[in-house]
Parts: sequence; structure tokens; C-alpha cells
Amino acid sequence: MNWTTDRRGFLKRAGAGLASAVAAPNFAWAAEGDTLRIRMDADFQVLDPWGIIGGLDEVIPRCTQVSLVRMGDMRAGNNWELYAAEKLEWLDDTRLAFTLRDGLVWTGDFGPVTVADVKFSYERIAGSDSAWAYQFEKLKEVEVIDDRNGVIHLTEAFAPFVVIAMPYYGGHIVCKAAVEAAGGSYTTEIPAQCGPYLLDAWEQQQKVTLKANPGWTGEKPAFETVEIYIQADDQAAQLAYEADAFDYTRVAPSAVRQLKEAMPEGATLIEAESTRYVWLTINQNAEPLKDIRVRQAIQYAYDSDAVLQGAYDGLVGRSAGVVQPGTTYARAKNIIDTRDVGKAKALLAEAGAEGLTLNLVALTDSTSQTIAQIIQASLGEAGITVEIQPTEEAAYWALGDKTAGDDYLSLELVLQSFAGGVDPTENLVWFRPDQIGVYNWAFFDSAEYEELYQKSLTERDADKRRAMFNRMEDLMEESGSFVFICFEPLVAIHDSDLKPVILADGHPDPVRFARM
Amino acid sequence: MSSGGRFRALRALLSDPMGALGLGLVLLFVVMALFAPWVAPADPIKLNVAEKFQPPSLAHLAGTDQLGRDLLSRIVYGARTALAIALTAVGLAGVGGLILGMIAGFGPRWLDAVLVLLFDSMSSLPMIMFALAVITIVGPGTGTLILVVVLVSIPAYARLIRAQTLALSGADFIVAERAMGASSARILFRHLLPNVVGPLLILLSMDVPVVIMLEAGLSYLNLGVRPPTPSWGNILYDGYTSIRAAPHMVVIAGLPLVLSTLGFTFLGEGLRDALDPRLRRRVAG
Repeated sequence: MNWTTDRRGFLKRAGAGLASAVAAPNFAWAAEGDTLRIRMDADFQVLDPWGIIGGLDEVIPRCTQVSLVRMGDMRAGNNWELYAAEKLEWLDDTRLAFTLRDGLVWTGDFGPVTVADVKFSYERIAGSDSAWAYQFEKLKEVEVIDDRNGVIHLTEAFAPFVVIAMPYYGGHIVCKAAVEAAGGSYTTEIPAQCGPYLLDAWEQQQKVTLKANPGWTGEKPAFETVEIYIQADDQAAQLAYEADAFDYTRVAPSAVRQLKEAMPEGATLIEAESTRYVWLTINQNAEPLKDIRVRQAIQYAYDSDAVLQGAYDGLVGRSAGVVQPGTTYARAKNIIDTRDVGKAKALLAEAGAEGLTLNLVALTDSTSQTIAQIIQASLGEAGITVEIQPTEEAAYWALGDKTAGDDYLSLELVLQSFAGGVDPTENLVWFRPDQIGVYNWAFFDSAEYEELYQKSLTERDADKRRAMFNRMEDLMEESGSFVFICFEPLVAIHDSDLKPVILADGHPDPVRFARM
Repeated sequence: MSSGGRFRALRALLSDPMGALGLGLVLLFVVMALFAPWVAPADPIKLNVAEKFQPPSLAHLAGTDQLGRDLLSRIVYGARTALAIALTAVGLAGVGGLILGMIAGFGPRWLDAVLVLLFDSMSSLPMIMFALAVITIVGPGTGTLILVVVLVSIPAYARLIRAQTLALSGADFIVAERAMGASSARILFRHLLPNVVGPLLILLSMDVPVVIMLEAGLSYLNLGVRPPTPSWGNILYDGYTSIRAAPHMVVIAGLPLVLSTLGFTFLGEGLRDALDPRLRRRVAG
């Protein structure tokens, strides 16, 4: 007999053998073929598009709700296509007519999806306290012509509306009647669904199961069931993938080299430029950081090379802002582009801030902790003692939230990363003054920045837009409140016979995953 | 115990192979901890990312971690962290337990009842859950770890001392002391204390590895010692997160935990046998 095996096969057989041995009567390997098993790094918190935080919060509505348009795979250029709308037409610069596709029906006897639902979905977010209100900043109203025909009216010409507002996050359509019956908003129980999948089960912090919607009349998804497993740790997720627990998972960028040397059999590695930007927030409102010289000292003391090599194996270069490098609008370089520990020490001495001790908050994943430790060491060389505070996901996102207490006022250093969008304004929006206490944890408050942001929304000349974006990033850096680290590479591993679809935010769209 | 008795106990400990091995291992870690700056070949917190994940070599006998730090140096300094926390926490808990136990055993009945109720209440809390609750309130750190261990351990020590004190309070020599007019303080410190402290030392010795493991466990969960201070727990965590790139890290980080646990356990058992001849005779016979 010729015995050949691989690591993945061995782990699977060993696991199956062990499970049989303990004789769990209801044990079965997750069904293959009609079940897609993907891994996310954190559980969901809010499924209402009004209050989506990110990650799984957004991935589930991609399955259970619809949007007028949807984005294509980020690796194919982020092109948009019609989804719930069968027709979309600019009548002029400020009026966008659409026709809803026939056959979209809400669960729970709430009838068909109508233009009134679209109007409700958009207008409840526009001008509200929702983090996604910026998507609808130029929305005047949604005019209802009839159940399937409507016109979106904008306050002024704003061409990126289609890719910023409509495809995801605040753009998911909710059922007006159902949401109103639920009290105007919801968190973890969706009052009515209309997408290709229905939320079937939720095992908190473990697994979300979605089943194909029998009432779905659109293109049938490739999988009857989608199982989303929650696994915070990239290392554990990679091991679980090798034991055939998932079909798709993101892995740590630092795993690339090792994966390339020994790819699991039947697996494919995705390496792509992601829109996820990473930076160090230096809160100018925190008492020890109110002096700009102290903040600048941190910018000078930061060791970019060590971070990029230590945390990302040199796979990415330093970013010069929050606009994606390599695009038309990216800033060429940082103002403080070279490390200068002597200058950092001098600035600290000038500010009378020698012997400074600061708290650095970072998520608990290994990449964040590695970056945090390198920052700790590099600032230490300038005489700043950094105490790292590893923080779990849920607690982390509450830190800068003004509705969650006063902690946001005194945060000092925070390692942050956001999934970016297609248009630069989607990345720059979080640093506007009105985001203080929401997502602008640096207390960066610049009237010029806000003015440029508003102008950039309606400016159509690419060169003028680039100048605006570059100036906005200059302002961010000059404030001393930011150290731009990098745009993280998107690294994922999946079964070779699987065709994943990943959107601009780096998260998958399970609806369009297919077996080849 | 007389000096002759102490030497007999030491001889008994050294004549027991496991006890001698335990003492040897404990001394090894104590020496590592005390002389870390001379024993460690490199700065345990100095980063050198260009040399990350180096396997063991002549330049780095135990290899390097994900930030290029010398692992052997981190293990050596980790011994200092582990022993400092364990000995401080166990020592403070031992003193607290000794005082409270003697008060409960020798004091008035009502005070005994109140203290026993308190000990029982504290003992009913699972250590790890209690630790997580305290860390949530106070925040992670070395001081918090010590506080948790002290609070959790005092009841066990106090109950032991109380039982010993109660048993000895009715002994003939104590009754005779009382009849001769000896003060309570004299009875407590001159007669009871030397007789109850032996079993406590055995228990303390056997609890040191428990505290070391608790520190390592909490540090592994990012709830213990803060980086960059080397701790066996956070070295183990770093090893786990890098297990594919540098599997040697987990093995090397696990070794001191295993050896120190064995060392203190063997030493505790050896001390028990040496200090309790009746038990030794029972085991031998």
C-alpha cells in the first residue's frame, strides 16, 4: 500500500479519528459542497445599517439585504454593477433615477421591496448621528414615483454618490414597515430580510449560519449554506484552515513567506493591495500631548523601517497618508519622512516633557501587538516610556466613542486601522471635526481640512482633487496627531476550487463566492 | 525547631533524590533571577527586527523572537519576573494567612466564626475568575497579579494555621504554660508560632509553581505582565503566535515553566517528608 498524506489531510484524519474515539453521536464534519465556510476575526454587534461598525456587521447585510448597486471584486478594479436596481440613470447632475428589480420580497409578510423602503433607508441616515451619514451628505431626498420607480435628488453635483453611498454600509436597504414596527432601529435581530440569504442561527462569539432565502428570485448563490466562524487569532485561523475547518480565511501578513514555502495542498494564496490603512493616533486633547512639540517628537522618534520589517516582513512600504498609495490622489511622501531621535529628544526637552509616560492602546492580534512593541521601543529611545494596553475588539471600539463615557477625551496613543473605500473622500471623512468622539480619536480639528473636504466632494478635476487631498494629509501630519504607518496587504488563503469575491473594504461578499 | 533539628531536616531533604533535585532546580532559577544581568547574554528588551526568528545558534543559544530579541536572555529575565511575583505574592499571602489563622485559632469564638466565614467566602471564588474580575477593575499589571494571588491564597493558609493553632491550643505544654501564668503573646509567639510555621512553609513552597503558572497564564492572555518586561507567559504567547515561523520559541518558553513547576513541587514534597518524620516513616514503612 502506498501511504501518502499531507499536513492538512493528516490533521483532518487525526481530528476525525479523535472525534470518533470520543464517540460524540452527533458529530459530523461540516458539510462540503453546498456549504461555504469562511472565517471572520470578530463577532457582529449591530446589523442595522444605521449603526454598522464594520467587519461581520457589514458582511451579514451583504447576504440578508440588498443595495441598489454593488461593488465588484477589489482585485478587478472596484467596478460597480446594478443589484437591486435594474436601471439607474443620471437625469442631470443632481438627479439620479432608478427602477427597482421586480421580485424582491421582504420576509415576515412585509410585502415587496419598494422605493419607499429606499427613501426610508437613505433618509434616516442622512444628517443623522450615524457614522455613515457622510455617505448621504449630498442627499436632498428620495422622490417616490411609484413602488418601483424613484429619483434620488442631491443638493449639488456629486458623481461619487453611486460608489460611496449606494453599494454597502449605509446603502443597504431596510424594510420601512418592519423597522418602524421594531421601534425605528435594531441591533442583532433583523426585522425583515430580502437578500439571497437569511440569517438562520447565531452562536455568539462562535458562528453565524446563513441559509439560502427560498423567496429570493435573483441569481441563485452557489452555496445553500454559509457558515461564518469567529476566530480572532490569525494563527489559529490558519491552523484551522489547514485542518479543513474553513474554506476561506484571512491570514497574518507575516505568514506569507512561510505559506509560499509550504502551501497547503489544494490551497491558493491571495496577496493583494488592500484599502486598509494603519496609523498611530496621537490624541492632541490628552493632557501630556497638548503641546505640539511633544506630538512632533513622537513623529520623529517613530521607526518606520522596524515596523514594516517586523510586522509586515517588508511586504509593504510606508504610507504617506490615508489615500491609497499608487493611486492618482496619493501624497508622494510624508513631511517627516526620516527618523531623527536627536530631534525628538530636543523637542521633548524644549517642551519640558522629558520622562514622559504614555499609554498606547492596541488590539490584541499579533500584528497589532508587534507594531505596538516596536513603537514602544522606538519611542523609548527618545526617552518616552510607552505602556501598551492590549484591548479586545468590543472594548476597543468603545474607547473613542463619546456616547460611551469620557475616556475618549484622555486617550493618548492608539494604533488604528480602517477599511478604506473607493473614493479618497471615504478614507478622509473620518478625520473631519464632526467625527471627534466618533472615529476621529485624535481630536484633529481643522477648519481648512473641512473646507477642502467639502470642495473635494464636488470637484471633478482630478488634478485639483489631488491637490486638495494632498493638502488635507499635510494638515493631518502638521497637526502632529498622526503617524502614517502603511496600507496593510490583504493576505488570505482559500480552497483552490473556490472563487472568492472581496470588496474594497477587504471583507468578503459570500453571496458571490463560487466553486470552480 | 532547634538548629540540630534544622540540619536533620536539611540532611533528610538532600538524602531524598527528588527533594535534592527540586532544591537544585529551585536554586538554579533563584541564581538566574538574582544574577540575571550577568547570566543573560544580551539585553532582553532590545529589538533587532533584522534578526527575528533566528533558530538556536552560537550567537543566540535559544534563538530570537519575532522582534529579534535574544530568547535566552528573555527566559533568564523571565525567571526574575516569575520568582519576584511568585515569592512576593506567596510570601505576603503566607504572612497574612499566618496572622489571620492564629487570630482565628487563638482568639475569641465570635472572631473565629467571622474569619472562618470570610475564608470560606473567599475560597468559593474560582481563582482565575476572581483574577479576571480584579484585573478588569484595577487593570492589568504586576501589582494586580500580586494582589490577586494574595487575596486568593490567604484563606487557604489561614485555615491551615487556624487548624494547627486550635489543635495545639489544647496540648499539654500549652496548658502548662497557661497554668504558669504565661501571657497570650508569649504562648503565641514562643510556642505556637514555631510549631505551626513548618506546615505553612511546605504549602507555600508547593504554591509557588501555581502562582508562576497563574502569572504565565494571565500574561499569555495579555492580562499579566506588560510588554516589554520579559515574562515566561508572554514569551509563550509570542511563541504561539509565531509557531509556524519559529516553532522553537514555544518549546523554549515552555521549558522553564515545566522545570520550575517540577522543582518547587519536588522541593515541597521533600520538605514535607523532611519536616514530618511520622509521614516519612509511614512512607518508608
